[in-house]
Amino acid sequence: MTETIYVSVSANPLDLQAAYDFVTDPEHGAVDVFVGAVRDHHEGQSVSGITYDVHEELAEKIFLKICREAQKKWDGIHIYMSHYKGQLDIGGISVIIAVSSAHRAESFEACRYIIEELKKRAPVWKQEHYEHGPSEWLPGHSLREAVGG
Amino acid sequence: MNEIAIHMKLFGTFRKFGDVLDFTVPAGSTASFVKKMMSNILSGGESSLVFDSVLADDNAVLPDTHVFKTDARLSILPPVCGG
Repeated sequence: MTETIYVSVSANPLDLQAAYDFVTDPEHGAVDVFVGAVRDHHEGQSVSGITYDVHEELAEKIFLKICREAQKKWDGIHIYMSHYKGQLDIGGISVIIAVSSAHRAESFEACRYIIEELKKRAPVWKQEHYEHGPSEWLPGHSLREAVGG
Repeated sequence: MNEIAIHMKLFGTFRKFGDVLDFTVPAGSTASFVKKMMSNILSGGESSLVFDSVLADDNAVLPDTHVFKTDARLSILPPVCGG
């Protein structure tokens, strides 16, 4: 049986071609790819890079859960989901989500769903490094809601 | 009452306290109580951050009502911001 979901946390540079190659399928006429990259500013400060901290074992389980939810919503899609762990400079790729489907609507919608759920649910944290001033861990979404807290 | 050992891995903003914390709690403690113990140990005014955080093992996030009867290897997860 062909695998239709790939998830990973990686300390190696993320690979766009690998994402495309995994999801492509002769029956699919659409591939949507989301790439998250480190930008050089945040709330008026010049950013020099970001360190990503990740609970790897749990993150991969939650990635898989999110992908299975997406496949229930959009039947037949193929999904590649990989998040970087470690330090990145400006322009570095932090996350790749690729989704393929028979037609474009499903791949656009599923890709959006997956990145939004990742941001709310995945155990990943960003420490921003600034040109001027000390590094800071960014605030985020509490996981208390996920367990009814 | 028996004490159990908690081995807590730290992530995100909690890294400023190190990579792990080891401490003991009474057997039968809830996750909520374990978090209170952590607040006491992290004497840096982190009680609201600990409150907004959750405990997890390597398989799932645990509710505050979860009861620990034996030694546990856990993680404390502050609010997340991946992507």
